[in-house]
Amino acid sequence: MNWSKLQNVDRRVLYVILLVATSLGLFLPSRIPNDPEPAAKDLYALLMQLPEDKPVIIQSDWTNSTRGETMGHLEALCRILMSRRIKFVIYATADAQAGQVALNVIRQINEERKKAGLVTYREGVDYIYLGVFPNAEGAGQNMRNDIRKAWGTRQTKVDGQAGRVPVFDTAVLRNMRSVSDASLMVVITASATIDVAVQRLSDKVTMACMSTGVVAPSLLPFYQAGQLKGFAGGLRGAYDMEYMMAHGINYSPTPGQEPKVTAEKFGEIPPVPEGKSFERAARYFGTLHIALTLLILAVVMGNVGMFVAKKKAKGGNN
Amino acid sequence: MDYTLLKLFLGVVFTLLLYSVLYRENKAYRFAEHVFLGLAAGYTLVVVWRDILYVQWWQKMMGTVADGAAPAMPGYWVYAILLPIGLMGYTIFSKKNNWMSRIPIGIILGLWSGQQIQVWWNTYGPQILNSMRPVIPTTWESITRPITYTRGEGGIKVNLAPERVAEIQSNLYFTQALSNFIFVLTVVAAFSYFLFSFDLRGKFLNKFNTFGRWMLMIGFGAIFGSTVMARFALVIDRMSFIWQEFFGRLLTR
Repeated sequence: MNWSKLQNVDRRVLYVILLVATSLGLFLPSRIPNDPEPAAKDLYALLMQLPEDKPVIIQSDWTNSTRGETMGHLEALCRILMSRRIKFVIYATADAQAGQVALNVIRQINEERKKAGLVTYREGVDYIYLGVFPNAEGAGQNMRNDIRKAWGTRQTKVDGQAGRVPVFDTAVLRNMRSVSDASLMVVITASATIDVAVQRLSDKVTMACMSTGVVAPSLLPFYQAGQLKGFAGGLRGAYDMEYMMAHGINYSPTPGQEPKVTAEKFGEIPPVPEGKSFERAARYFGTLHIALTLLILAVVMGNVGMFVAKKKAKGGNN
Repeated sequence: MDYTLLKLFLGVVFTLLLYSVLYRENKAYRFAEHVFLGLAAGYTLVVVWRDILYVQWWQKMMGTVADGAAPAMPGYWVYAILLPIGLMGYTIFSKKNNWMSRIPIGIILGLWSGQQIQVWWNTYGPQILNSMRPVIPTTWESITRPITYTRGEGGIKVNLAPERVAEIQSNLYFTQALSNFIFVLTVVAAFSYFLFSFDLRGKFLNKFNTFGRWMLMIGFGAIFGSTVMARFALVIDRMSFIWQEFFGRLLTR
């Protein structure tokens, strides 16, 4: 075999192999045993222990270009909040399309819950969509200074009512006087808007993040320093969340059975009480392993080819 | 007509058109790229007016009539001043009048500069404080920190006595101290790599500097790995969109 040819495989062949392998992987059942990251455990425990009478602020800064990761994050977050009947307010700062993309996810989860006979979330009653804000810096600074002024011009539809209502007249935000009145702020992002949010708001409200794999490494210093109380990064983070939504933390479904997820610093955190747990991330996670295996194989083959070619050039035996 | 299916079909067609660039640069790819750019620009224009300018500027300037539970609001003409200030930004395209564009830019820079002390401290303050970690163990009772819980018969966690838990948590055990030492060493070594103001002389300082560079490279490697994983996730999602969302709906129609 001419090993040196391995260095010159046409990239288009590699693309075809990748597309075929990832397509086939989607149809294989995958429930990969998992030990979630400590940061993801913190995030899940935080979400499952939130008080039910305070709203959560969601800053959704992603669009369809990062759907593979961040859509799974928002879906998991919505499923947890809806199963616990926690009200939330959602807005976008990074991209004009981000707001509509987030609304599509909420609509999809509502349809899923309706089919399962569960309570659905109503606009203006259980959640509010504030729209898009011009830039993350200005939006964050205004929220820090006076949230009533920052959001005061926004109105919302209220399910079952005609016309629009100022957002602070709704059940979601009626008691909110400052950003600190929210129980948690979660930034779902595919860019550096989390840095801006941390700079402006991390000392005012408990903050967490769900981000793409590209952004995730930059969150570690924030997490270690306590600026973020938890985070889920990339597809792995989305799978971590779904895994804990199904299995809880330190939770034994039947007496004597070992919990699937353990963590020393928490008590018993149950799984999500209703609705779906394993979904998008579970579908993609097994396929990700196939793709990464292909990548490792390609790197090994290329290196073997290079090694053999070098040896040949020096006059060694093949 | 099933509009959702039509929407999904268009999504599949444009996904394939965009992926055609993997074979080679072609007109179909360019067409899809321009359609996306045009759609994004048009969509952004609408959102900027609807979500930002209309509610935050136009309505404040013109006032509003009562609508449902929203009361009538008087208009304030003073908001009109923002329009010429904003438009001055566009004079940057004029050679004769581009000095005017510095006025809005100056206002924005001034506001931005005023926030920087708070921004800097909120970013780095907690991280600097967190870097000051103890590296000397406070107890040799055990090498690692004892587990602070046990499991009962039902598999449910049972805590130790609160006094014992508090004692364990207040101590620094050897493995924790070692972990802190590695952290502090990495921080200092990585910083030392950026000391360009003077020559690093001596074997120790040079080795320490090299160690810092290695630590940085390991960090960059981890970031690159995470980025590759993220890109794969995007491909997987596109394949899922085609096979599971589009064909799934087509076949179950």
